[in-house]
Amino acid sequence: MSAAARLAAAAWLLCAAAPVLAEPEDWNGVWFTEQGARTQISGFLANDDAGRTTQLPLINLDAPWTEEARARFQERLSQAAISKSEGWGYPMMMMSLTPLEFVVTPEQVLILTTYRDVRRIATDGRALNAPEDRWVTAWGESVGHWEGDTLVIETVAVRQPNLFFRAPPFSEATRYTERLRKVGPDRIEGEMTIEDPESLTAPWTVRQVYVRAQGLDRLVMDTFSNDRTTLEDGVFGILPPQEPAD
Amino acid sequence: MLGAARRESEGARMRIPVAATILALAAAAPSASAHHSPVMFDQTKTITLSGTVRQFQWTNPHCYIQLVVDGTEWNLEMGAPVYLDNLGWRPSTLKAGDRVRVTAAPLRSGANGGLVLDVVSLDGKTIGRPS
Repeated sequence: MSAAARLAAAAWLLCAAAPVLAEPEDWNGVWFTEQGARTQISGFLANDDAGRTTQLPLINLDAPWTEEARARFQERLSQAAISKSEGWGYPMMMMSLTPLEFVVTPEQVLILTTYRDVRRIATDGRALNAPEDRWVTAWGESVGHWEGDTLVIETVAVRQPNLFFRAPPFSEATRYTERLRKVGPDRIEGEMTIEDPESLTAPWTVRQVYVRAQGLDRLVMDTFSNDRTTLEDGVFGILPPQEPAD
Repeated sequence: MLGAARRESEGARMRIPVAATILALAAAAPSASAHHSPVMFDQTKTITLSGTVRQFQWTNPHCYIQLVVDGTEWNLEMGAPVYLDNLGWRPSTLKAGDRVRVTAAPLRSGANGGLVLDVVSLDGKTIGRPS
């Protein structure tokens, strides 16, 4: 075999053995959860009484909660009507109405929302930090790897209580394993298995489909500088706009 | 009639006492944006407001329409810009002086405000992306 042929064969073998990341740009862009793609100009789903209880799969009292965790979840949901949030946090951001932007590089994957959620998923082969060195945050610590067209993510160190006022009451000992598989140009099928030795009696697997946004090609971030929602004595209202000073 | 107040309650869709409805939504309505619950609006009713836009705010966490109806200004909340953007709205979609008909879910407090469900131009403009 000539040197050139050996070089070509070696290159082919290297390509064949490498993680399938041939088209990472195919993941880049803005995606909605299937339910989020139906969000109206109101910021909510259209009145859909039949579907309300199944729109956000993590909001589920029928998961294998311990009795204590289920009671805490019910208490949290009972307070939701008079609560405000500064964002989704993890894991809610992955199964909400708000769009997600994937930014994929060979070394890491970033997942962003317009509520300024940022997940950083290292795909450079590193391991999770040792438990004593983990920094507990609202989005946790994640590492991932590619298995063909599937991104596998391990996440730990997610702070509780989390940002969203209806977020399920997992503990900070929870381990989240996600498998996101791109099954078509505009569709990703995901599943998240949640193992929480403190609030769940068994692993809980939740599924979520993502579809590519039809009207957005990037997310624009901004602060909540025009929050006109008031909450006084348990009653919400809308403040009049602030007029510019003369 | 253009510019005239036309407030119509289209009536209750759910024959459940209001207090019971609030509790039910608090427990079972996960279709909220991240900012606040939709329970502040009475989604069992809709009102229709025909008036003139005084201001359109393209801001986080919500967009707002300030609509003048028969001399009274309404504070009308919308979703965050990202949801409107995805549906073909832009910061220039509404301008001061535009005449529109807004369908909204009213504030439970009874104040002049609500959650925008639909906007139709009375000037013949296209608003948002045709569905």
